[in-house]
Amino acid sequence: MNTEVQIMPNRHSLFMQGTIAMIPLSVAVIPWGLLAGSYAIESGLSPLESQALSAILFAGSAQLVATGMIKAGVGLTTMLLTTLFITSRHFLYSVSMRDKIGKLPLRWRLALGYLLTDELFAISGNQSEQRFEPWYALGAGLSFYLCWNLATLIGIVAGSYIPALNELGLEFAVAATFIALVIPNIKNSPTLVAVLVALVLSVALNLIQFEGALMIASIGGMLAGYLAETITRRA
Amino acid sequence: MTLLAILAMAALVFFSRYVFLEPKLPLRLAPQIQSMLGYSGPAVLTAILAPIVFAPEDELWVAADNPYLLCAILASVIIYKTGNVLLTTVLSMVIFLILNNLVF
Repeated sequence: MNTEVQIMPNRHSLFMQGTIAMIPLSVAVIPWGLLAGSYAIESGLSPLESQALSAILFAGSAQLVATGMIKAGVGLTTMLLTTLFITSRHFLYSVSMRDKIGKLPLRWRLALGYLLTDELFAISGNQSEQRFEPWYALGAGLSFYLCWNLATLIGIVAGSYIPALNELGLEFAVAATFIALVIPNIKNSPTLVAVLVALVLSVALNLIQFEGALMIASIGGMLAGYLAETITRRA
Repeated sequence: MTLLAILAMAALVFFSRYVFLEPKLPLRLAPQIQSMLGYSGPAVLTAILAPIVFAPEDELWVAADNPYLLCAILASVIIYKTGNVLLTTVLSMVIFLILNNLVF
């Protein structure tokens, strides 16, 4: 058998494995995609502009806030500053993935960088440099992109006829998947400390509706993990 | 105009996702920062999931009739026992949907 034949099914199967790993998160995002589409139409955007938000911007929370700002007619500077604030966590994902994606060819960096959402970071951020597979990440990221855009399209076309899917509690799928990804990684006390500090900080900051709760809680957890590591090493 | 605003925001979001993936960007991370980044996965994921589980309706809800909390505990047990991500997600999600929409 020549190598060409062996490589092709491998790529294909990695792509499929990534798609399958992403399914719970793709399903969980459907209500928000529907909402993004119907809210954009409600806010007076044209169907093309509404779909462009998902197809080009491709950032759930930033899209909903952007739609609100377009509706309110705020200036471009305000829009960009607000977007910068919401999107700041992506800098953290980008720097964390530098070792894995930075050495790939340009087309891979552009594709995976473009698809680097919370969800893709969840699926591939935990993988070690050796275990990271571009085709797996592409399958996860691209299937998620398609799902988000299809949900948006349905929201645009049929927004007012769709029952309130967000009341079913589908966001639990996000929690369930993330739990399944985090727990096996808690192999030492510094990681446990990082997780516990991020958990307490995130709940507390969300309860007082602190802007940027996610960033502060994440960095707090990382810092706590690092400090615990230094202390255990010294002991 | 709206389309231009969308493009400008998209450029900003893409920049935030891509910038550190660029090998030409001269960035040498101090070893301390690299060890910190080693905890970024667990820390970020926990920070996203914690409010869904402990405050699904924007109030602290630590009680035996919080289906989010119950099924989060269930998911933790399943992944600890089996190590199977897909099984954990599907099983805890099915039980959650039953509890959340039919039982409580």
